[in-house]
Amino acid sequence: MEATDGALVNRAVGGEATAFDALVRRHTPRMYRVALRVVGNAADAEDVVQEAWISAWRGLGSFRQDAAVSTWLYRVVSNTAIAHVRKRKPAVSLDADLAADGGGPAPGESLAADPDTYPEARAVQAAQIDAVLRAIGTLEPGQRVPLVLHELEGFSYAEVAEIMQVSATALRSRLHRARVALLERLKELE
Amino acid sequence: MSDGSTTEQDPRQDPRWRLVRAAARRPVPTPAGLVDRVLRSVRAMRDRVLVEPLEVPQDRGDLRIGGRALVTLCRGAGMELADEYGGVRVLAVSLEPEGFDVLLSVRFGVPADLAADHLSCRLRQRLGALVGVTVPPVNVHVVDVHHP
Repeated sequence: MEATDGALVNRAVGGEATAFDALVRRHTPRMYRVALRVVGNAADAEDVVQEAWISAWRGLGSFRQDAAVSTWLYRVVSNTAIAHVRKRKPAVSLDADLAADGGGPAPGESLAADPDTYPEARAVQAAQIDAVLRAIGTLEPGQRVPLVLHELEGFSYAEVAEIMQVSATALRSRLHRARVALLERLKELE
Repeated sequence: MSDGSTTEQDPRQDPRWRLVRAAARRPVPTPAGLVDRVLRSVRAMRDRVLVEPLEVPQDRGDLRIGGRALVTLCRGAGMELADEYGGVRVLAVSLEPEGFDVLLSVRFGVPADLAADHLSCRLRQRLGALVGVTVPPVNVHVVDVHHP
């Protein structure tokens, strides 16, 4: 049976190096996804993930077991990504990075035609998705992070609130403002 | 309780929001080798050699700098220098018995040998300036090429 995150952290704190390695293998893909969607390009996202894991390793001793390990890790990567964005602003280079799958379609999401049936519609939709991701990259980091975590990564309100260490009410308000801002940018693209 | 919306219209009701949902479903592959590079960086921070401080005799007593601090300095300095040079990324830094190992990726079209020489030379200078002592050798390896 696979060890839980909490068990791995306990073993890592106790000096078992392979336990921390297991956490790295388990969480790096999603942490990279979060980082990429916040910072907007693969090179910076890789740096963010590496920095985040080093921070996490350093912070192992102070990790409180009453918080979920994943919450703690995504808080570390979110904070690292925000710091990176603020240091390097504005850095939105979506090119081939966010379109890493080659711009594949999301079935049934075409505004004009079915992208499953029409290659042109598929290409148009891929470009539209690129534009959405670019637009997200123009939001200020305080709005971008909750939007990425909730709307793109599927974290619940409670999880995002805990990751960002804000109240549920504050989070809902911030998310709403982020959605409104994003929708305004999407309208401008038309 | 409302689902994050206020009395204003919920943006998720707008037809354009379909594209946000589509973006959420777009796969994001993990870059090849990223997990290994992370593990290498983490291991560099915890390896035995890192708890043995660098000891430098000085006029007013010995200066001791922990290996972990050296790796952190080397990584930070390396990333700054790579940014300045352009087309170069630091993938991982570790401190081995022979000195620092710095793994680089260069952008396609950037001469790898020149980039490695430049980083190696400037990194040694920068580290020397930061810690004020002769630092361990800096061995730079170009291990990957990325696209512009």
